[in-house]
Amino acid sequence: MNKHTIRNLCIGAFMLFGALRSSAEIKFVQYDLPNGLHVILHEDHSTPIVAVSVMYHVGSKNEEASRTGFAHFFEHLLFEGSENIKRGEYMKLVQAAGGQLNANTSQDRTYYYEELPSNQLELALWMESERMLHAKIDTIGVETQRKVVKEEKKQRFDNTPYGQLINVVYDNAFTVHPYHWSPIGKDQYIDQATLAEFMEFYKTFYVPNNAVLVIGGDIDIKETKEWVEKYYGSIPKGTKPIPRPTAVEPQQTSEKRVTFYDNVQLPAVILAYHTPAMGSEDYYAVQLLTQWLSEGKSSLFQKEIVDKEQKAVQVGAFNIPNEDPSIAIMYGITNQGVTPDELEQSMETQVEKIKTDLISEQDYQKLMNQTETGFVSRNSRLLGTVETLATDYTFLHDANLINSEMERYKKVTKEDLKRVANKYFTKENRMVLDYLPKPKDNK
Amino acid sequence: MKKIIFIILSLTLFAPVFGQTLDRSIRPKPGPAPEVKLGKPESFTLPNGMKVFVVENHTLPTISCSIQLDIKPELEGDMAGFHEMMGELLLTGTKTRTNDQLSEDIDFIGATIRATNEGLFGGGLKRNEDKLLELMSDIVLNANMTQDELDKIKKRTLSELETQKNEPDAMMSNVGASLNFGSKHPYGEITTDETAKNISLDRCTRYYQTYFRPNVAYMAIVGDITISEAKKLVEKYFGAWQKADVPVATYSKPTAPASPRVAMVPRDGAVQSVISVTLPIDLAPGSDDVIKARVANSVLGDGSQGRLFLDLREKHAWTYGAYSSITADILGGTFTADTKCRNAVSDSAVGEILKQMHRMQTDKVSDENLQNTIAYMSGTFAIGLENRSTIAQYAINIERYHMPEDYYQNYLKNLSKVTSDDVMAMAQKYITPEHANIIVVGSRDEVAKKLEKFGKVEYFDYLARPIKPDDDLRPAPAGVTADGVLKNYVKAIGGEDAIKNIKDLKTVSKSQIQGIDLTITEIKKAPSQLKQTVEGMGTVFQKEVLNGDKGYMEQQGKRQDLSGDELAQVTKDADIYGDLHPEKYGLKYELKGIQKVNGSDAYVLEETDPKGSKTTMYYDAKTGLFVKQIKTFDTPNGPMAQTLEMSDYTVVPNSGGYKVPYTVVQSAGPQVLNIKVQTVEINKGIPDTEFDLK
Repeated sequence: MNKHTIRNLCIGAFMLFGALRSSAEIKFVQYDLPNGLHVILHEDHSTPIVAVSVMYHVGSKNEEASRTGFAHFFEHLLFEGSENIKRGEYMKLVQAAGGQLNANTSQDRTYYYEELPSNQLELALWMESERMLHAKIDTIGVETQRKVVKEEKKQRFDNTPYGQLINVVYDNAFTVHPYHWSPIGKDQYIDQATLAEFMEFYKTFYVPNNAVLVIGGDIDIKETKEWVEKYYGSIPKGTKPIPRPTAVEPQQTSEKRVTFYDNVQLPAVILAYHTPAMGSEDYYAVQLLTQWLSEGKSSLFQKEIVDKEQKAVQVGAFNIPNEDPSIAIMYGITNQGVTPDELEQSMETQVEKIKTDLISEQDYQKLMNQTETGFVSRNSRLLGTVETLATDYTFLHDANLINSEMERYKKVTKEDLKRVANKYFTKENRMVLDYLPKPKDNK
Repeated sequence: MKKIIFIILSLTLFAPVFGQTLDRSIRPKPGPAPEVKLGKPESFTLPNGMKVFVVENHTLPTISCSIQLDIKPELEGDMAGFHEMMGELLLTGTKTRTNDQLSEDIDFIGATIRATNEGLFGGGLKRNEDKLLELMSDIVLNANMTQDELDKIKKRTLSELETQKNEPDAMMSNVGASLNFGSKHPYGEITTDETAKNISLDRCTRYYQTYFRPNVAYMAIVGDITISEAKKLVEKYFGAWQKADVPVATYSKPTAPASPRVAMVPRDGAVQSVISVTLPIDLAPGSDDVIKARVANSVLGDGSQGRLFLDLREKHAWTYGAYSSITADILGGTFTADTKCRNAVSDSAVGEILKQMHRMQTDKVSDENLQNTIAYMSGTFAIGLENRSTIAQYAINIERYHMPEDYYQNYLKNLSKVTSDDVMAMAQKYITPEHANIIVVGSRDEVAKKLEKFGKVEYFDYLARPIKPDDDLRPAPAGVTADGVLKNYVKAIGGEDAIKNIKDLKTVSKSQIQGIDLTITEIKKAPSQLKQTVEGMGTVFQKEVLNGDKGYMEQQGKRQDLSGDELAQVTKDADIYGDLHPEKYGLKYELKGIQKVNGSDAYVLEETDPKGSKTTMYYDAKTGLFVKQIKTFDTPNGPMAQTLEMSDYTVVPNSGGYKVPYTVVQSAGPQVLNIKVQTVEINKGIPDTEFDLK
């Protein structure tokens, strides 16, 4: 047989497989309560567990410049208890029920979740409703968490090498947009915050019309809907307008160069480019480009810079998925005897490659295969599925992207990759950060 | 299930629709406990001896394959560290694929493959299962390791070892392993620079040929695959894997100390102690004690409800967290309680940990506490089953460790049966403070003495090598005073006249940082001028200039005027006659004692400046020369200690006997700068223009 025919056969077989794969689709139901709360239910009986999560559409970008760290502070306050849950009892209750819980805050949203044996679903729903309706925001809680939050900040940045990296990038890349400051905030503002301001924040952002409740696992849809109505139906809709930042970061017109000193042993070089927001037209191409640069041992950065040239001990490239236009970060940590300038040159050479060369068919297929594996693997854990549903709804108002988003990647052509690389990975649009070991004082 | 739904429906019919009368103070009760079903994997054995377990799960179109070797390899000995390199080495190529080709092929199908010296793990999409298994078999059957690739890995390993010198977690890990297991046990072998450099390609190759054999291998295949599909693939790709006799090594039996052993691991300038109370225990996986012992451990130190956390953090506020762990292991398990806290409360923290451990042996845990703990552990067990690989792993564990067939089926049942008497018995057997290694990584001067109340204090370095005890600070002999030490120093470096004779001074030194050659040029002119430049690769990295009472500092092109503390420091440094009149700068000195520096006794002085900043200074007792200094700087990321060590004092030509140290070693954290003086010139007539502040 000649080559052409064989190729067709392979594609045919591939399409057959595609049909069989529909069993991987994540099924769910969704609806709104009259008070604005969006509810998503995903039934999955493979393990007798449930995951309950609430994503509030508030993050550090909703803060005032003189009150950074608020959203994260809040995340802590919501573990302090409620009208019906005593201080110190929140975590204990979940653990005593055989569950695990946690939360996290980003620039765009705050996310709370717990996972428990499925016979404890009602308890979890009650607990999250307590938080939403009447969390304990009082002086004792505020003063306790004020200290804890500052300790956390010290510990995390103190002990993590390159812990400041992302903060420094955002700090310098953004001048007008609130991505300029990090979610952990600044001590002085955390210190100045008053109880009244916290109450205001709570009443403004922690309302059902600014949240999505996602429940997944070994659930009965009808029973779950009744409990949702029981605990959330009577929570009043928020009355205050919800401020969203209107600042638009002006286009960067010339390269920025920044130096930062930290307690590290090896210098690192970071190239940061302004990129479009998640879900937008060129976003998917940017994702694929960063993958092309650094995913897997055969990627451009790994193969050329780490292995062949031995210029770096570690490299990476990733695009941060943010609600507003954000940043793609490419970093490298220098190997012994290599200067930051040399490493910067090496990285630039690879970036130029993806701008001048059209990606080969082989590499393009590789990107698609890698993306698909990642896409499917996201759903291997219930908590992963639940968070994806919450995220896709909150930012893109389409929970079904959990199934369909792969198509958006498949639509990106080889020419698109070249075009998008040339559009965003330019000198004018980039910031170069030299992350260096602290210089020494002499005697 | 049907019956229950019906009942709930009827309840709902009577309940008010909008919950205006909902009493939110009523905590919802759980429904009936769901049945936790543990699937039993299918299995088959190849003629070459490999046993394969298959767990089908068709929810996602992915599969994973893991190969585990049930081996007891011989000790690494003088090549300690090569086991850890084996994984990376295995992925650097096969007989049929170069490094590049192997990486390309793995990445092309979007798969992940990881390797260690005891096995391989691979995962990817179902439609690529054939390729995935082919790749894994190529690595396992046809590994091809080269000297080139080994050298690259060794280079990276040596860099990592450098950072361990002052990295407290790594230091604790080394000393803990060494004290618990000893060097004749695989867990107690510590990798050093020497052993890492010794590692030979031959050793690695022989290891692979000896231990990577199917007759000691278990394989678990999990995911979107049927047993017959799996069988076909495994036979196709692993059928040719040759079996062979695999030697089984014996190791020393780990023993806990007869009485508490106190180990201090000094870390220069530490402001925090990393504390671990640990001992080896004889606890095999699947043995009767395991479940009960885990409950006991959970009561003591699991998460925010453990006794350690509630006491050391919530009650005393000494630390951000305190926990404990217990591991069952066929080669030797461990019990460990650990915490991190500031210097001043280190001994209190140790005392409290020991007290809580002892309490577990004497105070019965309350019913509520016990039930909450059991509930938490039950939940964790159930949640763990979401990952289908867990089920396959359970099957392998049962075979490998000769556990009862129904061990995991009965896990929850046995867990619920644990009593408070059981907990106490387990604590008496395994949570034994009277047989523990008490290890503290931290400040020798501030903490070591206080640990003596727990037992004789032994000292170890970051690689668990014993340090001689008389490196301690001792009281200085009678008659020695701080003033006397300083005067002797002036004499030792040439005397007051020789120093006063100097009008200007030029010192050129060389050093190296990350392989870059540095040249440091420093010129000083009386009374108050100084210029220091640090250059390398044809660029000036750093420049500092003082001209009288003004000056600036320039780094990587950015210039900043000197002011405040920085200006005061540079003014002090610029003073050629500084050692003759320290009181001019408000410096006060206190004699702290005598201590060994690099094997020789040195007088220890503590210098305090007007702001209260302290520096510890060491003057050799015999020669009077200034040999070491430790100063702690405040940085935005907390305090950091910087150490200077001076040696090779030599008379400067044409100076009338003036001596300077020709070697200065400067270190802070993981960074070490070796500075060697090349030339020193005195009174050559340096013009004022050199110090212009343009």
